Amino acid sequence: MSGENKESKTEAKAAMKNSMAACPSSAAVFSEGPCRPTVFRRFYERGDMPIQNDSRGRRRSVRWKVALDVLDYHHFLPLFFDGLAESLSPYNFIAVQGIHEMLDHGGPKILPVVPQLIAPIRKALDTRNNDVMCSTMKVLQHLVKSADGVGEALVPHFKHFLRVFCEFRCKTYTPHATVYGPKKPSLGELVEETLQILEQRGGKDAFKAIKVIIPNYHSCVSC
Amino acid sequence: MSTATDNNSKPRAMSRAKEWTAEVENLFRFQQAGYRDELEYRQIKQGALIDKWPKSGFVKKLQRRDNTVFYYSRKRECEDRDVNKVLVYSY
Repeated sequence: MSGENKESKTEAKAAMKNSMAACPSSAAVFSEGPCRPTVFRRFYERGDMPIQNDSRGRRRSVRWKVALDVLDYHHFLPLFFDGLAESLSPYNFIAVQGIHEMLDHGGPKILPVVPQLIAPIRKALDTRNNDVMCSTMKVLQHLVKSADGVGEALVPHFKHFLRVFCEFRCKTYTPHATVYGPKKPSLGELVEETLQILEQRGGKDAFKAIKVIIPNYHSCVSC
Repeated sequence: MSTATDNNSKPRAMSRAKEWTAEVENLFRFQQAGYRDELEYRQIKQGALIDKWPKSGFVKKLQRRDNTVFYYSRKRECEDRDVNKVLVYSY
Protein backbone atom coordinates (compact mmCIF):
# COMPACT_ATOMS: atom_id res chain seq x y z
CA MET A 1 0.00 0.00 0.00
CA SER A 2 2.69 2.48 1.00
CA GLY A 3 4.60 1.37 -2.12
CA GLU A 4 1.64 2.27 -4.32
CA ASN A 5 1.33 5.67 -2.56
CA LYS A 6 4.99 6.39 -3.22
CA GLU A 7 4.60 5.48 -6.88
CA SER A 8 1.56 7.67 -7.35
CA LYS A 9 3.34 10.58 -5.59
CA THR A 10 6.33 10.15 -7.89
CA GLU A 11 4.11 10.09 -10.98
CA ALA A 12 2.27 13.18 -9.77
CA LYS A 13 5.53 15.00 -9.17
CA ALA A 14 6.88 13.97 -12.59
CA ALA A 15 3.76 15.39 -14.25
CA MET A 16 4.13 18.77 -12.46
CA LYS A 17 5.97 21.68 -14.05
CA ASN A 18 9.41 22.72 -12.72
CA SER A 19 9.81 19.61 -10.65
CA MET A 20 11.96 16.53 -11.06
CA ALA A 21 11.10 13.16 -9.55
CA ALA A 22 14.00 11.25 -8.00
CA CYS A 23 15.26 8.30 -10.05
CA PRO A 24 14.48 4.85 -8.64
CA SER A 25 17.46 3.29 -6.86
CA SER A 26 19.47 0.83 -8.97
CA ALA A 27 19.59 -2.89 -8.24
CA ALA A 28 23.45 -2.75 -8.31
CA VAL A 29 23.79 -6.22 -9.82
CA PHE A 30 27.14 -5.46 -11.47
CA SER A 31 28.67 -3.18 -8.86
CA GLU A 32 31.64 -4.59 -7.00
CA GLY A 33 31.31 -5.67 -3.41
CA PRO A 34 33.62 -4.23 -0.71
CA CYS A 35 37.18 -5.54 -0.84
CA ARG A 36 37.85 -7.36 2.44
CA PRO A 37 41.13 -9.06 3.36
CA THR A 38 40.78 -12.80 3.03
CA VAL A 39 41.87 -15.61 5.34
CA PHE A 40 44.44 -16.53 2.67
CA ARG A 41 46.08 -13.11 2.97
CA ARG A 42 46.16 -13.34 6.76
CA PHE A 43 47.80 -16.77 6.66
CA TYR A 44 50.24 -15.72 3.93
CA GLU A 45 51.40 -12.62 5.84
CA ARG A 46 51.87 -14.72 8.94
CA GLY A 47 54.08 -17.12 7.01
CA ASP A 48 51.76 -20.11 7.47
CA MET A 49 51.29 -20.80 3.75
CA PRO A 50 53.76 -23.23 2.14
CA ILE A 51 54.32 -20.90 -0.80
CA GLN A 52 56.45 -17.85 -1.63
CA ASN A 53 56.42 -15.28 -4.35
CA ASP A 54 59.43 -15.58 -6.64
CA SER A 55 59.95 -12.74 -9.08
CA ARG A 56 62.94 -13.24 -11.35
CA GLY A 57 63.01 -10.07 -13.37
CA ARG A 58 60.22 -10.24 -15.94
CA ARG A 59 58.96 -13.70 -15.08
CA ARG A 60 56.79 -14.14 -11.98
CA SER A 61 56.44 -17.52 -10.40
CA VAL A 62 55.94 -19.18 -7.03
CA ARG A 63 58.15 -21.38 -4.90
CA TRP A 64 56.89 -24.09 -2.56
CA LYS A 65 58.40 -24.68 0.88
CA VAL A 66 56.93 -28.18 0.93
CA ALA A 67 56.57 -30.70 -1.92
CA LEU A 68 52.98 -31.00 -3.15
CA ASP A 69 52.97 -34.81 -2.74
CA VAL A 70 53.08 -34.41 1.05
CA LEU A 71 50.91 -31.29 1.31
CA ASP A 72 47.59 -31.62 3.15
CA TYR A 73 45.06 -30.71 0.44
CA HIS A 74 42.13 -30.83 2.87
CA HIS A 75 43.62 -27.93 4.79
CA PHE A 76 45.40 -25.88 2.13
CA LEU A 77 43.33 -26.16 -1.04
CA PRO A 78 40.27 -24.39 0.48
CA LEU A 79 42.62 -21.70 1.84
CA PHE A 80 44.06 -21.09 -1.59
CA PHE A 81 40.56 -20.96 -3.08
CA ASP A 82 39.70 -18.37 -0.43
CA GLY A 83 42.50 -16.26 -1.93
CA LEU A 84 40.63 -16.14 -5.25
CA ALA A 85 38.60 -13.23 -3.85
CA GLU A 86 41.78 -11.15 -3.47
CA SER A 87 42.16 -8.30 -5.91
CA LEU A 88 45.47 -6.97 -4.57
CA SER A 89 48.85 -7.97 -5.90
CA PRO A 90 50.78 -10.20 -5.07
CA TYR A 91 48.10 -12.11 -3.14
CA ASN A 92 45.86 -12.67 -6.15
CA PHE A 93 48.75 -13.93 -8.29
CA ILE A 94 50.06 -16.27 -5.55
CA ALA A 95 46.60 -17.70 -4.84
CA VAL A 96 45.78 -18.33 -8.50
CA GLN A 97 49.20 -19.70 -9.43
CA GLY A 98 49.22 -21.87 -6.29
CA ILE A 99 45.80 -23.30 -7.15
CA HIS A 100 46.82 -24.14 -10.71
CA GLU A 101 49.96 -25.94 -9.52
CA MET A 102 48.07 -27.83 -6.80
CA LEU A 103 45.46 -28.94 -9.33
CA ASP A 104 48.17 -30.02 -11.80
CA HIS A 105 49.84 -32.25 -9.20
CA GLY A 106 46.96 -33.22 -6.94
CA GLY A 107 45.59 -36.28 -8.70
CA PRO A 108 43.24 -38.31 -6.47
CA LYS A 109 43.66 -35.87 -3.54
CA ILE A 110 41.41 -33.27 -5.20
CA LEU A 111 38.04 -35.08 -5.36
CA PRO A 112 37.47 -35.46 -1.57
CA VAL A 113 38.09 -31.71 -1.09
CA VAL A 114 35.56 -30.49 -3.69
CA PRO A 115 32.65 -29.82 -1.25
CA GLN A 116 34.91 -27.49 0.77
CA LEU A 117 35.71 -25.43 -2.33
CA ILE A 118 32.15 -24.32 -3.09
CA ALA A 119 31.92 -21.59 -0.45
CA PRO A 120 35.18 -19.85 -1.50
CA ILE A 121 34.21 -20.09 -5.20
CA ARG A 122 30.87 -18.46 -4.42
CA LYS A 123 32.59 -15.78 -2.33
CA ALA A 124 34.97 -14.97 -5.21
CA LEU A 125 32.13 -14.74 -7.73
CA ASP A 126 30.07 -12.55 -5.37
CA THR A 127 32.80 -9.87 -5.35
CA ARG A 128 31.56 -8.92 -8.89
CA ASN A 129 35.13 -7.80 -9.61
CA ASN A 130 35.79 -8.50 -13.30
CA ASP A 131 39.41 -9.65 -12.92
CA VAL A 132 38.55 -11.86 -9.93
CA MET A 133 35.69 -13.41 -11.87
CA CYS A 134 37.91 -14.13 -14.88
CA SER A 135 40.50 -15.86 -12.66
CA THR A 136 37.74 -17.83 -10.91
CA MET A 137 36.33 -19.05 -14.26
CA LYS A 138 39.76 -20.25 -15.34
CA VAL A 139 40.28 -21.99 -12.00
CA LEU A 140 36.85 -23.66 -12.25
CA GLN A 141 37.70 -24.93 -15.74
CA HIS A 142 41.01 -26.32 -14.48
CA LEU A 143 39.33 -27.86 -11.41
CA VAL A 144 36.82 -29.74 -13.52
CA LYS A 145 39.54 -31.15 -15.79
CA SER A 146 42.05 -31.86 -12.99
CA ALA A 147 40.78 -35.28 -11.88
CA ASP A 148 38.14 -37.88 -12.69
CA GLY A 149 34.80 -37.42 -10.99
CA VAL A 150 35.27 -33.76 -10.10
CA GLY A 151 32.78 -32.62 -12.73
CA GLU A 152 30.05 -34.94 -11.41
CA ALA A 153 30.87 -33.94 -7.81
CA LEU A 154 30.24 -30.27 -8.67
CA VAL A 155 26.76 -30.84 -10.17
CA PRO A 156 24.80 -30.87 -6.85
CA HIS A 157 26.49 -27.57 -5.93
CA PHE A 158 25.62 -25.68 -9.14
CA LYS A 159 22.72 -23.95 -7.39
CA HIS A 160 25.20 -22.23 -5.03
CA PHE A 161 27.39 -20.47 -7.59
CA LEU A 162 25.86 -20.62 -11.08
CA ARG A 163 23.38 -17.80 -10.50
CA VAL A 164 26.13 -15.22 -10.99
CA PHE A 165 26.91 -16.76 -14.40
CA CYS A 166 23.41 -15.83 -15.50
CA GLU A 167 24.04 -12.15 -14.77
CA PHE A 168 27.44 -11.93 -16.43
CA ARG A 169 26.84 -13.91 -19.62
CA CYS A 170 26.60 -10.79 -21.78
CA LYS A 171 29.60 -8.96 -20.34
CA THR A 172 32.23 -7.83 -22.86
CA TYR A 173 34.97 -6.95 -20.32
CA THR A 174 38.34 -8.34 -21.44
CA PRO A 175 40.96 -9.16 -18.77
CA HIS A 176 44.31 -7.50 -19.42
CA ALA A 177 46.45 -10.00 -17.50
CA THR A 178 49.06 -11.80 -19.57
CA VAL A 179 48.24 -15.10 -17.81
CA TYR A 180 45.66 -15.94 -20.43
CA GLY A 181 48.08 -15.74 -23.35
CA PRO A 182 47.65 -13.89 -26.64
CA LYS A 183 43.97 -14.86 -27.06
CA LYS A 184 42.04 -12.97 -24.39
CA PRO A 185 38.41 -13.98 -24.18
CA SER A 186 35.88 -11.55 -22.77
CA LEU A 187 34.11 -12.27 -19.47
CA GLY A 188 30.94 -13.32 -21.30
CA GLU A 189 32.90 -15.76 -23.47
CA LEU A 190 34.64 -17.17 -20.39
CA VAL A 191 31.26 -17.71 -18.73
CA GLU A 192 29.97 -19.57 -21.80
CA GLU A 193 33.16 -21.64 -22.08
CA THR A 194 32.96 -22.56 -18.37
CA LEU A 195 29.31 -23.60 -18.67
CA GLN A 196 30.16 -25.83 -21.63
CA ILE A 197 33.04 -27.50 -19.77
CA LEU A 198 30.84 -28.01 -16.69
CA GLU A 199 28.22 -29.66 -18.90
CA GLN A 200 30.71 -31.86 -20.77
CA ARG A 201 32.39 -33.11 -17.60
CA GLY A 202 29.35 -33.15 -15.34
CA GLY A 203 27.70 -36.30 -16.63
CA LYS A 204 24.09 -36.75 -17.69
CA ASP A 205 22.55 -34.57 -14.95
CA ALA A 206 24.72 -31.55 -15.61
CA PHE A 207 22.65 -30.04 -18.40
CA LYS A 208 19.39 -30.29 -16.40
CA ALA A 209 21.07 -28.71 -13.35
CA ILE A 210 22.41 -25.82 -15.47
CA LYS A 211 19.08 -25.34 -17.26
CA VAL A 212 17.23 -24.90 -13.95
CA ILE A 213 19.40 -21.92 -13.08
CA ILE A 214 20.12 -20.55 -16.58
CA PRO A 215 16.94 -21.25 -18.62
CA ASN A 216 18.32 -19.82 -21.89
CA TYR A 217 21.44 -22.01 -21.88
CA HIS A 218 21.74 -24.33 -24.90
CA SER A 219 23.46 -27.69 -24.64
CA CYS A 220 26.82 -28.05 -26.39
CA VAL A 221 26.83 -31.85 -26.03
CA SER A 222 23.76 -32.63 -28.13
CA CYS A 223 24.76 -30.34 -31.05
CA MET B 1 74.74 -31.73 -26.03
CA SER B 2 76.35 -32.00 -22.57
CA THR B 3 77.81 -35.34 -21.66
CA ALA B 4 79.71 -36.24 -18.52
CA THR B 5 82.40 -38.81 -17.87
CA ASP B 6 82.15 -38.85 -14.09
CA ASN B 7 80.12 -37.28 -11.30
CA ASN B 8 82.54 -34.49 -10.48
CA SER B 9 83.38 -33.34 -14.01
CA LYS B 10 83.33 -29.60 -14.65
CA PRO B 11 82.24 -28.06 -17.96
CA ARG B 12 84.93 -27.40 -20.53
CA ALA B 13 83.08 -24.89 -22.69
CA MET B 14 79.90 -22.85 -22.67
CA SER B 15 77.76 -21.45 -25.46
CA ARG B 16 74.30 -19.92 -25.78
CA ALA B 17 71.32 -21.69 -27.29
CA LYS B 18 70.37 -20.51 -30.79
CA GLU B 19 66.93 -22.07 -31.19
CA TRP B 20 64.36 -23.76 -29.00
CA THR B 21 64.41 -27.53 -28.60
CA ALA B 22 63.21 -29.87 -25.86
CA GLU B 23 66.74 -29.98 -24.44
CA VAL B 24 66.92 -26.18 -24.38
CA GLU B 25 63.57 -26.15 -22.56
CA ASN B 26 64.92 -28.48 -19.88
CA LEU B 27 68.14 -26.46 -19.57
CA PHE B 28 66.00 -23.33 -19.14
CA ARG B 29 64.11 -25.03 -16.30
CA PHE B 30 67.30 -26.15 -14.55
CA GLN B 31 68.81 -22.68 -14.86
CA GLN B 32 65.60 -21.09 -13.50
CA ALA B 33 66.07 -23.26 -10.41
CA GLY B 34 69.70 -22.16 -10.04
CA TYR B 35 71.60 -25.10 -11.59
CA ARG B 36 73.75 -25.33 -14.70
CA ASP B 37 72.08 -28.44 -16.05
CA GLU B 38 70.87 -31.94 -15.13
CA LEU B 39 74.40 -33.10 -14.30
CA GLU B 40 74.97 -30.42 -11.67
CA TYR B 41 71.55 -31.14 -10.19
CA ARG B 42 72.43 -34.81 -9.79
CA GLN B 43 75.84 -33.88 -8.31
CA ILE B 44 74.32 -31.56 -5.70
CA LYS B 45 71.23 -33.63 -4.91
CA GLN B 46 73.32 -36.82 -4.91
CA GLY B 47 71.55 -38.78 -7.57
CA ALA B 48 68.00 -37.65 -6.82
CA LEU B 49 65.39 -38.72 -9.38
CA ILE B 50 64.17 -35.95 -11.65
CA ASP B 51 60.38 -35.83 -12.15
CA LYS B 52 59.43 -35.33 -15.77
CA TRP B 53 56.08 -34.94 -17.54
CA PRO B 54 55.30 -38.26 -19.26
CA LYS B 55 54.34 -37.04 -22.75
CA SER B 56 56.59 -34.05 -23.33
CA GLY B 57 59.58 -35.21 -21.27
CA PHE B 58 59.96 -31.73 -19.76
CA VAL B 59 61.14 -31.37 -16.20
CA LYS B 60 58.20 -31.28 -13.81
CA LYS B 61 59.67 -30.56 -10.41
CA LEU B 62 63.03 -29.37 -9.10
CA GLN B 63 64.28 -28.72 -5.60
CA ARG B 64 66.39 -25.60 -5.20
CA ARG B 65 69.53 -25.34 -3.06
CA ASP B 66 67.47 -23.78 -0.23
CA ASN B 67 65.13 -26.85 -0.40
CA THR B 68 62.16 -24.90 -1.77
CA VAL B 69 60.45 -26.60 -4.70
CA PHE B 70 59.74 -25.31 -8.19
CA TYR B 71 56.97 -26.85 -10.27
CA TYR B 72 56.88 -26.45 -14.02
CA SER B 73 54.10 -26.69 -16.56
CA ARG B 74 53.75 -29.60 -19.01
CA LYS B 75 53.77 -27.03 -21.83
CA ARG B 76 56.66 -24.95 -23.08
CA GLU B 77 57.76 -22.20 -20.66
CA CYS B 78 60.90 -20.92 -22.42
CA GLU B 79 59.72 -18.18 -24.75
CA ASP B 80 61.59 -17.28 -27.94
CA ARG B 81 63.01 -14.14 -26.30
CA ASP B 82 64.48 -16.28 -23.48
CA VAL B 83 66.17 -18.85 -25.75
CA ASN B 84 69.44 -16.97 -26.19
CA LYS B 85 69.73 -16.58 -22.38
CA VAL B 86 69.91 -20.36 -21.98
CA LEU B 87 73.52 -21.51 -21.44
CA VAL B 88 74.62 -24.81 -22.98
CA TYR B 89 77.60 -26.44 -21.28
CA SER B 90 79.86 -29.05 -22.90
CA TYR B 91 82.08 -31.42 -20.99
